Amino acid sequence: MRIADHVHQSLNNLWKKKLRTFLTAAGVVIGIAALFSMLAFGKGMQKNVLDRFVRLELFRYITVFGPSEGPRGPRARRFRDHQSPPTAPPLTDERLAEIANIPGVEAVFPEVRFPAVVRHEEAERFCLVQELSPEIVASGLVAFRTGGPYTHDDPNAVIVSDSLLRDLGFTDPEAAVGKPLTVATIRVDAGLLNPLNIATALTGAALPFGQEEHTFTIAGVAERMGIGMGMVRSDVLIPAGTAARMKTVSVTHLSDLFKSTDLSGAYSAAAIRLTSTTHLDSVKAVLREWGYGTFALADEVDQIETAFLLMDMFLAAIGMIALLVASLGIVNTMVMATLERYREIGIMKAVGARNSDVRRIFFFESGAIGLLGGLFGVLFGWLASLLINDIVNYYLAAKGVSRTNYFTFPLWLWLASIIFAIAVSLAAGVYPAIRAAKTDPIKALRHD
Amino acid sequence: MKSTGPCALIEIQELTRVYPAAIPVRALDGVTVAIPEGCFLGISGSSGSGKSTLLNIVGGLDRPTSGQVTVESRRISDLGSDDLACYRREQVGMVFQSFNLIPAYTAMENVALPLLFAGIARSERIRRAEEALNAVGLASRRDHRPAELSGGEQQRVAIARALINKPKVLLADEPTGNLDTTTSAQILRTLADLNTVGLTVLMISHEERLLREFAHAIVRLRDGRVIEYESIR
Repeated sequence: MRIADHVHQSLNNLWKKKLRTFLTAAGVVIGIAALFSMLAFGKGMQKNVLDRFVRLELFRYITVFGPSEGPRGPRARRFRDHQSPPTAPPLTDERLAEIANIPGVEAVFPEVRFPAVVRHEEAERFCLVQELSPEIVASGLVAFRTGGPYTHDDPNAVIVSDSLLRDLGFTDPEAAVGKPLTVATIRVDAGLLNPLNIATALTGAALPFGQEEHTFTIAGVAERMGIGMGMVRSDVLIPAGTAARMKTVSVTHLSDLFKSTDLSGAYSAAAIRLTSTTHLDSVKAVLREWGYGTFALADEVDQIETAFLLMDMFLAAIGMIALLVASLGIVNTMVMATLERYREIGIMKAVGARNSDVRRIFFFESGAIGLLGGLFGVLFGWLASLLINDIVNYYLAAKGVSRTNYFTFPLWLWLASIIFAIAVSLAAGVYPAIRAAKTDPIKALRHD
Repeated sequence: MKSTGPCALIEIQELTRVYPAAIPVRALDGVTVAIPEGCFLGISGSSGSGKSTLLNIVGGLDRPTSGQVTVESRRISDLGSDDLACYRREQVGMVFQSFNLIPAYTAMENVALPLLFAGIARSERIRRAEEALNAVGLASRRDHRPAELSGGEQQRVAIARALINKPKVLLADEPTGNLDTTTSAQILRTLADLNTVGLTVLMISHEERLLREFAHAIVRLRDGRVIEYESIR
């Protein structure tokens, strides 16, 4: 039999049993749609994350850590393998200047953070305020919902996250830009440092700390904080150098109180921006030679991709369940067809059909179900994904999150889904096809 | 007629067919018949005498337990599955009592079925099927399905299908069993006409009168054995 005749005959036979074909193919449609949507979601998530890394030029950054006194806190655990040993030289301003002179280094930004209470009218929240140079703020690491980055000429500007803004009672982020924000810092109270008060403090009755308030003007509202290898880790950002004129105590963790006095004036970490990613290895080599531990996101890409691969496999496994059920439907339909067409198979063999002809007839029919299911499955999956994307975006828009495409539909996913549908259907057709080919024509011709 | 000489188109030698069962059924038991080219051979016998088994083995639908069948010097009992399918498609045509047409196919599609499995192009299939239907007087019924045809018409469609590949042998298993007397006579006349132009016909029938009217010879079977070979003309 010719291929064209097989195709014609299989479609003809399926058309004669329209309802059964529709119901069987519907199972494949649902299975493929689920698989297609799941993988499109996985790929969408991967693309969003990696695109964001690229857009923010995160692969151009290296974080260098000051001497470590052992892991502490969740961040320390995350970077444990990258921390500098306790013997590493302190990250002083002089050392940062030396780092800035390493070939391939564009700029070095020390990490400065201190605890503060942020107030607006009656509302207040405790948080860590971070100094961040205008260059980093403007680099794209901070995604602005409204307003924009500050400049060197504006030492009283502040950038706040939209989540903190909501906590402070702002309902419209755009209306917050230009509004004053009070930052209350902890300072050492000299008046409490006389021997009598120290004795009182030692009994736990009072600590020698006071508060100092500074007023800033909101320059911008950021969508998200806490990305970029910890470079932006606070809900309040102020221009670099501002902390120096504020009488702050840079204690972000109780263990800071036990730090060696040798490290006073040294930074716990610094972000290094490279002129290009090609200098990543050479700069890291110099820093390693100087005794520092480093962390670069570019080194983690393989792990990120592996993590996404595992996520894809998990999502695909969920989609496969529906397809597995659909394949059982195909087996059932095709076995039914061999029983119903038992006599017809006998007639075909009596007039000269080979076993392989009969086998192919049923293979083509199950393959045609797979093709139909695959084509409509990807179409249905695509439409369902677009609908889900719109619903999620509509819901998140109310929470102030900008529109994002959570699904990605690469060409290979369309083709692979259709081919997979056909392959699964053909596999489901193996048993019925073999069974049909083994039909004894004499018995079949006697069958009513 | 019962010679085993070199001019025989079909040679059946010591053909035995035993169906496996708790008590094995010996459907054919050492049948030997030689059928020359152009012969119209009638096969008769009571029910269970082995007539259909004999025809099925000659038609390549069944295989003997022992013995051999040679058609045009080709030992068909030794053929592989694919070669046997090719033999059924091209060297013999079969007509059955119950017509065995595919209900969902039109008359033309049924007639063209052997050509489909021969890998012949659709246009050629249609041309030859129309020609075959025309030969049995059913050109006007080409697009009708079996349910829309009378018994006689269905059997003529089956004959057209059996002859579409121009075989040398036509095997007919009770072709008039489901037909009335008039239609039976028409069908037998058709077979006799085909025999006249050189087709070798092997036909099973209960009706001795019909066989005597059309056949050159009659083989009578009982319990799987040839009990009589009668030359009529």
